[in-house]
Amino acid sequence: MELYELNLWMLIEGLKAGKFTPSEIFTSCKKRIDQCEENIHAFITRTDDNPQPGSNPDGIFSGIPTVLKDNLCTTGIRTTAASKILGNWKPPYDATAWKYLKDAGAVLMGKVNMDEFAMGNTCGNSAFGPTHNPNDISRVPGGSSGGSAAAVSAGYVPFSLGSDTGGSIRQPASFCGVYGLKPTYGMVSRYGLISYGSSLDQIGPFARTIRDLQLVMSVIARHDPMDSSCFREKNPDFTHHEDVSLKGKRVALVKEFQDFTLDAPISKAMNRTCSVLEAEGAVLTEVSLPVVARYAVACYYALAMSEAHTNLERYDGVRLGYTVKDAAGVKEMFEAVRSYGFGSEVKSRIIAGTCLTEPSRCDEYYVAATKVRTLIAQEFARAFGEADFILQPVTPSLPGKIGEVDEDEMKGYETDLYTLPVNLAGLPGLSFFTGYSGELPVGLQLIGPRWSDPALLDAGTVLERQLGSPRIANGGVK
Amino acid sequence: MPELTFTPVIGIEIHIRLKTDTKIFCSCSTNPNDPPNTNICPVCMGLPGSLPRLNHTVVEKGMLAGMALNCTVQPRSLFFRKSYFYPDLPKGYQISQCDLPVVADGYIEVHDAEGRLKKIRVNHLHLEEDAAAMHHSASDGRLEGASTSYVDYNRAGMPLGEIVSEPDISSAQEAVEYAMNLQRRVRYAGASDADLDKGMMRFDANVSLKCSDGRWGRKVEVKNMNSFRALERAIEYEIKRQKKILLSGGEVLQETRHWNDAKGVTTASRVKEFYRKFIVEPDLPPLVVGQEWIDKVTAMMPEMPDVKANRYVKDMNIPREVAEVLTDDKNLAAYFEACVSAGANPVRAANWVRTEVLRVLNERGQKIADFTVRPEVLAGLVGRVDDGKLSTTQGKEVFDYMCANGAGLDDAVRALGITEGGIAGNALADIIASVITANPDVLEEIRSGKDKKGKKLKFLQGLVMKETKGQAKPQEVAEAVAEAVK
Amino acid sequence: MKLNSEEVNEIALESRLVLTEQELAGAVRYINNFLNMLDRFKELDLKDVEPFSFAEALECPLRDDEVIPFTNTQAILDESEHVDGSYFKVPRIMEE
Repeated sequence: MELYELNLWMLIEGLKAGKFTPSEIFTSCKKRIDQCEENIHAFITRTDDNPQPGSNPDGIFSGIPTVLKDNLCTTGIRTTAASKILGNWKPPYDATAWKYLKDAGAVLMGKVNMDEFAMGNTCGNSAFGPTHNPNDISRVPGGSSGGSAAAVSAGYVPFSLGSDTGGSIRQPASFCGVYGLKPTYGMVSRYGLISYGSSLDQIGPFARTIRDLQLVMSVIARHDPMDSSCFREKNPDFTHHEDVSLKGKRVALVKEFQDFTLDAPISKAMNRTCSVLEAEGAVLTEVSLPVVARYAVACYYALAMSEAHTNLERYDGVRLGYTVKDAAGVKEMFEAVRSYGFGSEVKSRIIAGTCLTEPSRCDEYYVAATKVRTLIAQEFARAFGEADFILQPVTPSLPGKIGEVDEDEMKGYETDLYTLPVNLAGLPGLSFFTGYSGELPVGLQLIGPRWSDPALLDAGTVLERQLGSPRIANGGVK
Repeated sequence: MPELTFTPVIGIEIHIRLKTDTKIFCSCSTNPNDPPNTNICPVCMGLPGSLPRLNHTVVEKGMLAGMALNCTVQPRSLFFRKSYFYPDLPKGYQISQCDLPVVADGYIEVHDAEGRLKKIRVNHLHLEEDAAAMHHSASDGRLEGASTSYVDYNRAGMPLGEIVSEPDISSAQEAVEYAMNLQRRVRYAGASDADLDKGMMRFDANVSLKCSDGRWGRKVEVKNMNSFRALERAIEYEIKRQKKILLSGGEVLQETRHWNDAKGVTTASRVKEFYRKFIVEPDLPPLVVGQEWIDKVTAMMPEMPDVKANRYVKDMNIPREVAEVLTDDKNLAAYFEACVSAGANPVRAANWVRTEVLRVLNERGQKIADFTVRPEVLAGLVGRVDDGKLSTTQGKEVFDYMCANGAGLDDAVRALGITEGGIAGNALADIIASVITANPDVLEEIRSGKDKKGKKLKFLQGLVMKETKGQAKPQEVAEAVAEAVK
Repeated sequence: MKLNSEEVNEIALESRLVLTEQELAGAVRYINNFLNMLDRFKELDLKDVEPFSFAEALECPLRDDEVIPFTNTQAILDESEHVDGSYFKVPRIMEE
């Protein structure tokens, strides 16, 4: 067995026991990256030729390689958000989540691919070209954190960080066959995360076991004064427990979702997971989320775009990134920079966001969406009075082929129905592995009330025990 | 046909720099004297991924300024994003409280054309961040026709309070009095230095005219006034301009105009104004101000100038005009009150501060804080003049000597050779004796009864007065000399 | 159609985006489909609903007014191609 195949907790224990050294881990992972990267194209920027040593030799992650989604700021290392507009920008500061990892000793192997400014769900909408699914390189890895999911799935690194605004961790985790957690809004500091929809964005981990997710969360889910929305009395406890049980826990299915069609492998996974839950002593129940089912998609996109267009106003070429010289005037300069620098999906969303917040339409769209969001949060709060967790799909279908485009974007947006309500209500959502359908992994999603992240991962431990852990994908290597 | 009359309807927006050590959303210094682009960080430069963090003291200074304008603190307020594209705005939007402000519903008073007091309502004060400073110049230093602009982001993120009045102002004079009164009050509260020369106080005015025939012109926003004089001239110009349009039957357009101070005109802004609705700033949760904090800040509020002036008039019998001069500056008022606390008669102390202290400060271009004569020393001086130990003229000499030499009261008196309380008794008798001894012939003349008209006696009295350097009471001298020659 | 191409183009310019003909056509289709989707909101009675804020009634934390200079200001300046001496230099603003 190669070292790159070991899970995070195994690497930590092995290092502690002196079975191998950090440099052996590094070499093994680098070899794996060299072997598969041509097929997968997960990286935007590799730093493994000049590895950044973790700053703490005694840290819990000392000598553990990792990668970061390229919307997390890294001091002196190019950070692009997969957009041309950031050019070769080297941030003068670290994202807090990365700082916490670095302080724990983690070693950065590079910055990985994503949809431009996290807008997309295929990882194909990147200025650096698409990433391929390590399980089947003709297929998308999902997005927007496709590079983070692919890197863990292919065995480049034992864990990675991504961000989730409407499913951008959970969907690629499911498509690539790894675990991904979208934490409660406010659980992980957003400082240094290049914003998409600020009230929806949340950083979270990818790993190949639940226990590994818990290890990463124990490091990154700490209070940070730099993020005013990351605010709590005390840090949660993410200690791993083998002997957890779901006995007596109420796990609900959403009544309204049962009218929607799912691809066969996914409905099969739903059934199988339900049986497992019952066998574990959980009580299956049903909750009703009518507003979520009909309005969440519209509400989500209205808010995400309203916030996004303001978050993207800072890219004008004056202070950083791509720019033009000798423009006739400031307006011309801004137009030249932004028209070239942004990709077409980003431009569409900027225009939509601007349109929704124009005074003549603001009440009808933006303000209405903020109110619908209240209804959605209330609906979830009621549901969690009747259930401890909600079980639902991540997506209605398995990953599509690279290059397939939906002519009607709105139809594409509808496929995010299962993931984005979680962000609207600020809930934690766990994307977990259930098994394979042929080559392709099938994931599902478990949602809990706000701040239930530790309990959600405990439930994940039970599911992993019964459903099995994913294998490392072949990465296109025969 | 009756002649048309016009009533100006004016509202003013005033930006004041709140007095803090750091910017509103980051820990960069607000020192205005630092070299350009040194007080910058990822937050105030709007770097991707950075997030704002609200400064506690900005909120407190905003509350103080609001209370100084008789506003009420709002228990819950919000921040918004106000978008526009400009190189001075690093994020492409300004974080501002807009219409959900930290304090609201106040007023201050001005005098109307008839001299009556009139309330100008203050709608609210909201907190926001300043933009970067821009300098427009050509490589040869010319301003006109320059091809480049220079940006200094030290100013980006400096804390501002924007104070929005109701349109209760009816003339340029009222506008200036409102602005001056506001400046005095926020300075009193310690909320802002409001120094116009340093750009710490800036004005925008909304001007429209109501015509006696029922027409009401559209609101014109006039920007770019950086002095009281500019505020007055710009409003006067705008009233005249709009009147002319309405008289000729034209229509006043709703627009933004810039005041050109050099040319003395307002010109239509070429920028199309965005009236974009603001979105809630998702990076800052609601600002909640609890009662405890409100109580603490209320306790910090000093007595306001108008209340103080009224107290001087009512409790100390100080003339209103003098009371207003003394209360114009908080430190001057404090100086005066320290004099009174040290035992000086309030009316006399008021006159001394108002005439002598202000004269010396004026001559030297000094501020009261730098004044070397301590209030208790001045109180001592006033007391000695009051007791007659020093004449008024002597008192002023002593005061000038103390100012010029930094001397104490007794040292100044001694240095000037002044005998306090004047020369009388034995000292006077000695002088008289020596004068008489020196003029035996005169004495002889008087004693022989030749001095019918008393001329010789007056002569001796004059000599004695001269010897005392005017420090003896003339009546006493006259009597003593007359007695001595008998 | 809720917005024609002229209106969409104007919004794009407001956002400092100059669209190619093809991009504009795409944006017009996109915006109109999007606004149609948002029409669903009209089915709801939102009159008495408060705009969203987090259930915990999150309060804005406040920072002490204490100067902590950013030590890496040179790295910020190094990222701009418009730095001239100690200033950022941009084309003259003609709009005033």
